[in-house]
Amino acid sequence: MRISKRVDALAPSGIRAFFDLVLGMKDVISLGVGEPDFVTPWHIREQAIKSLEDGFTSYTSNKGTDQLRYAIAAFLKKRHHLVYDPQEEILITVGVSEALDLAMRAIVNPGDKILIPEPYYVAYGPAVELAGGEAVYIKTRLQDGFKVTPRQIDEAFTQGVRGILLNYPANPTGASYSRKELEALSHVIKKHDMLVISDEIYDELTYDFDHTPIAALKGMQERVIYLNGFSKAYAMTGFRIGYVCGPADIVGAMTKIHQYTMLCAPITGQMAALEALKNPLPDVQAMKKEYDRRRRFIVGALNDIGLKCHMPQGAFYVFPSVKSTGESSVDFARNLLRQKKVAVVPGVAFGQCCRDHVRISYASSFDNLKEAAARMKQYLNKK
Amino acid sequence: MLKKPKINPKTAVRALIEVSITPQKDLGFDNIAERIYSYPQVKSCYLLSGGYDLLVIVEGESIQTVADFVAAKLSSMANVRQTATHFLLRKYKEEGKVFKYSKSERRQNISY
Repeated sequence: MRISKRVDALAPSGIRAFFDLVLGMKDVISLGVGEPDFVTPWHIREQAIKSLEDGFTSYTSNKGTDQLRYAIAAFLKKRHHLVYDPQEEILITVGVSEALDLAMRAIVNPGDKILIPEPYYVAYGPAVELAGGEAVYIKTRLQDGFKVTPRQIDEAFTQGVRGILLNYPANPTGASYSRKELEALSHVIKKHDMLVISDEIYDELTYDFDHTPIAALKGMQERVIYLNGFSKAYAMTGFRIGYVCGPADIVGAMTKIHQYTMLCAPITGQMAALEALKNPLPDVQAMKKEYDRRRRFIVGALNDIGLKCHMPQGAFYVFPSVKSTGESSVDFARNLLRQKKVAVVPGVAFGQCCRDHVRISYASSFDNLKEAAARMKQYLNKK
Repeated sequence: MLKKPKINPKTAVRALIEVSITPQKDLGFDNIAERIYSYPQVKSCYLLSGGYDLLVIVEGESIQTVADFVAAKLSSMANVRQTATHFLLRKYKEEGKVFKYSKSERRQNISY
C-alpha cells in the first residue's frame, strides 16, 4: 500500500464522472461555476501589474505583509467592530481553503469530532478527516431554510466534539443567519464550550440583512476562528488570498504549520488584496446589486417551472428541489446537460441529504440565466 | 433642412471627417458650416481649434455611400480646401456608455 490510510479512506467524489462530462462539452450554458463571473476590478489588477513592474517578486513574512494584516485589522474594525491584533491574531493564507486546513490541523486531535451542518462545502469533511478528526454531519432542512438550529446542535453534541464548522452565507444553499439567529446558536455553542470555525467568505454578498460575523457576538471572539478572503467579494479567486483571525494561541499554531508547508501567500496576490481594501465598497456594491437582481429572477423562474426553490439570503447559489421531476439530482443534471446543454451541480455532491436538489449558480450573465431557465422549462415540458 | 434618410442603425457606417476651409470675408466659418450641416447625412458638425477647422460626423448606409458624399458634396464645395475621412471601426464608449464585446469564458465550466 503506497497511499496513506488517511488519504485512502477519503471518500471519492460521487460526481467526478459528471464533472468530466461537463468539462468535455462545448457551448454549455453553465450554472455550475462556484466563482464570480465578474473579472477582478481594474484598479486591483493594475496594482498587481504595478507590483510586478516594481519588482515585488519575493517571499513575504510567513504571516503575510504587515501592510495587508494592518489593513485587514482596520477594515474589520470599521466594518464589523471586530478588533484583532494584526501581529498576533491575523494570518494571511492561500485562500480560505488553506486557512480551513490549517485550522483543522491546529485544533483537532485524533478522534476529535467536528460538527458540520449539511449541505456542506465539499472540502469540510476531508479537512477534518485529513487532520485525524471525525466529521459529524447535522442534516438541515428545507423548511428551516437549510439553517442549523440551536436544538440540532444541542442534540448532536457528544463527548469528543471540539467544535462546529459554520459557513454563511452558504455554499451550496445561499442560506445565511441573522444576528438574532446567530445569538441563539451562540448560546448553545458556549454552553458546550465549543470552538467555531466560521467560513464567512461570502459575507459581502448578503442581500436581505446586514451580515454579522459570529465573532462579533458577546463572548464569542475568544472561541471563533474567523475565515475570510478576497475571492468572492472582490472577484479575486485566482489571486488565492484568504486570511484567518482568531485567538493568538490558535493563529500562532496555524502559523507554525503554514510556515513549514506554504511559507507565505504569493506576494502579487497580497499586493492586489491591499489595493482591494483601499477602496473596497463601490465595486462590491455594484456586483452585489447585479447578483441580487439575478437571485430574484432565478428563484422566480425556478418556482414558475415547478422546481421548488427557497429564497436564499446570500452568496450566488440557489438550491432547488428536483423531486417533482421524479429523477435523482444526478440523473436530472446529466439529462439536462445532454438534452439542453445546461450545466448544474447535483446536490449529492454536498451531502447525502441533498439527493433531490441541485445547486444552481447565478454567477452567470442575466442573458445566460434567462436562456437557461427557458431551456429548463422546455426540458421539463418534454418529460 | 432636407429630410433625414432612414438608415438601419445596426448596419450604419459612420465617418469623422476633418475639413479644412478658407474662411469667407466677413462671414468667417458660419456660412460654409451651415451649407455642410444642412445635409441630412451630417449627424454633427463642430468648429475646432487646431490643425483643421470643422469636424463633421457623417452617417451612411455603407462605406461607399459615405465616400460618395465626401467626394461629390463635401470636397467639391467652394472654400473647402482639404478633407480627411476616418471611418469608425468599433465603438468602445459613447456618451458615457461602455460597449462591451464578448470575451471567451475564462472560468472552468464547473467547479465547487
